[in-house]
Amino acid sequence: MSLTRSPSPRPGGGWSSPGSGTSTPHAGLYPSSPSDPWLAAKAKSDEVRGYPSFSTRNNGFFSRSKRQITATLPRFRGARSPRAYSEKDGYTHGRGRGWRSMWFGRTVLRRRRARFLLALGFLLLGYLFFWTSFVEIFRRSTFGGGRKFVIILESNIEGGVMEWKGAREWAIERNSVSNKKDYAQRWGYRLETVNMLAKKRYSHEWREGWEKVDILRETMRKYPDAEWFWWLDLNTFIMEPSYSLQKHLFSRLGEISYRDINEYNPLNITHPPVQLYLDELSRSAAGDNNPSSIHFLLSQDCGGFNLGSFFVHRSLWSERLLDIWWDPLTYEQRHMQWEHKEQDALEYIYASQPWVRNSVAFVPQRYINSFPPGACGDEMDPKVHYMEGGRDFLVNMAGCDFGRDCWDEMYQYREYSAWLNRGLWERVKDGYDDMHYAIFGGS
Amino acid sequence: MQFALPPRKGPAVAPYSRSPFLTYQRRKQLKALGVLSIALLAIFFLLSQLFYSSTGTTAAPIGTSSLVIVTVLDRTLYSDGYLQKITQNREDYAQRHGYTNFFANLSDYDSYLGSAPRSWGIVPAVRHAMAAYPSSTYFFHLDPNALFMDPSKTLESHLLDKHRLEALMRRDVPVVPPDSIIKTFVHLLPEDIDLMITTDAEDLDTGSFILRQGDFARFFLDTWFDPLYRSYNFAKAETHTLEHIVQWHPTVLARLALIPQRVINAYSKDSPAAGVDGIYKEGDLIIRFFGCDTDPKRSCESELDRYYNLWMKKLKVE
Repeated sequence: MSLTRSPSPRPGGGWSSPGSGTSTPHAGLYPSSPSDPWLAAKAKSDEVRGYPSFSTRNNGFFSRSKRQITATLPRFRGARSPRAYSEKDGYTHGRGRGWRSMWFGRTVLRRRRARFLLALGFLLLGYLFFWTSFVEIFRRSTFGGGRKFVIILESNIEGGVMEWKGAREWAIERNSVSNKKDYAQRWGYRLETVNMLAKKRYSHEWREGWEKVDILRETMRKYPDAEWFWWLDLNTFIMEPSYSLQKHLFSRLGEISYRDINEYNPLNITHPPVQLYLDELSRSAAGDNNPSSIHFLLSQDCGGFNLGSFFVHRSLWSERLLDIWWDPLTYEQRHMQWEHKEQDALEYIYASQPWVRNSVAFVPQRYINSFPPGACGDEMDPKVHYMEGGRDFLVNMAGCDFGRDCWDEMYQYREYSAWLNRGLWERVKDGYDDMHYAIFGGS
Repeated sequence: MQFALPPRKGPAVAPYSRSPFLTYQRRKQLKALGVLSIALLAIFFLLSQLFYSSTGTTAAPIGTSSLVIVTVLDRTLYSDGYLQKITQNREDYAQRHGYTNFFANLSDYDSYLGSAPRSWGIVPAVRHAMAAYPSSTYFFHLDPNALFMDPSKTLESHLLDKHRLEALMRRDVPVVPPDSIIKTFVHLLPEDIDLMITTDAEDLDTGSFILRQGDFARFFLDTWFDPLYRSYNFAKAETHTLEHIVQWHPTVLARLALIPQRVINAYSKDSPAAGVDGIYKEGDLIIRFFGCDTDPKRSCESELDRYYNLWMKKLKVE
């Protein structure tokens, strides 16, 4: 406590006021008492004179416990209690008639306020419980734009015909499907889970792999008002469900995609085509540079085109592509070399038929198709691999069934995605834990 | 006072009753608002039309012909005199109707053909013509061993006109004669047609077809020219490839119209394998000496001469 200030002049604490005992007129008659009007007046004037109250309130033992002390002291009739001053400040309640009438006015006010608060509470509750579903319904409606997108997810690969499906396979499937289901639900997209059961129809006469094309066509027929169809392999996981396809890709297609394959060309495809008989459009490297003429969007990995995650736009162009993608003659000649079936066939068409190139656009791989470590070589490549902290949209565990553990990878990524997108409360808790750890160490 | 009937309500309306929804004042206001909004919409529409046309596709420059006749000349195989007669015949026909001729050199495409037969050259030639005349609509590929016999007929009135084409299109017939199970579509409209072609008794005839420029043409020609088809050793090279494409790929079939052979592809009497009613008759637009170049017993030049002279006589009469 600073000594330059005069200490509290409050009664009862007779020690503090310098010379208070000597200068009071009643000093000889009465013992220094709390009801001493002079003391009270002095205190009041001190307050009025502008000593800030913070230094005089609740400081020190006496002022804090003054109430108890004064209550035990004798009270004198007619003496003005210092409380009379404090009453105006609203410290005490429950005495006097005027106060009662005020109480009535307050109830009216309070009722109104209560009603207001109740309404606010309802609004808050409604917001908490219904807002997301309201937004989702809007996105799914005609105006929300979610209907333009259909996610095609392959599932039940071979349907256990070739190999027994164990618990891990089922778990992968469950997780992958529910991941896309949640994502589609959130953004109002439609999800088409397709059964890739091995069929005799596709396993003879060089027809392997035709089913992807057939499924794409069937889905286009099933959703006549959808525009973009997103094919996803089973071993994929959407890491950032808060990214909408519109915002992440399609509203900035012109900026993020490239049509000049020389930008990243692991297959060494000659581009642009140079044949003398071709028109200008076919011979230009970047096509017509108009994002609306893009009808096929995919990414390339270290080995060329990757069809684990790609987009097809409904158009005459894509109808034609889907039509010639599989041709018995070309497949008959090449099926021994085309290890990746439809992927190789598409690469071949891209390389040999110039009409395709203007409408095929690529995005850097990590926009739609990040690889886990282990795919595409062992060292990490920032162009190819999922990086922690990069907040990549999707992970494609490509090739995980060759010497890696699909279920383990999917589990890891699922947990990591959940952690990345955890709620506010978890974030606070984690922050606290971190602080605790930083201060006290240990686990 | 007593009245038999309750008194009529005065003009004063009870203070609590609602005023009628449309007062005169409000009706006036609404009317003004309606007129104003319609006027604004009209202005907006007009302006958008104005600016849209400026960003839209560029109009064809004046003087471009609607149709280009594509001829692939093999200068190593034929004498100059023979080729001259052919070009003269075609130049005359094109000049009459404002068409353009595109004479392609087969040797230009040799480097792209690889080991495939040279007859494949027609595919890049048509693509080449389209690149050379980007604003022309129709491209008529005609084998060199053919003559226009009735130069007065325009191709528009003879074939390309919507109603004419609708009448000529052969629907629900096997695309590849004689008995392919794939038949031309029944419900095709003439607006959808990009490729007009004929068949003779054996095959689709690649010696005479009309292709409309556009996305389909690019797709169709590139697919047709696919390296794996060229290397497949079809007995009839590009003809069999075309038949394969047409039968396996419905997006092509959906754009194709089979037309009666004599419309653009009448065979001369000596030609083998003419289709039903495929032999040239007086008054047909075109005569083709089909197979004169492959059959060692026949001579294209002498066969052509007879009809060339007929054509010359006709010119003189005019």
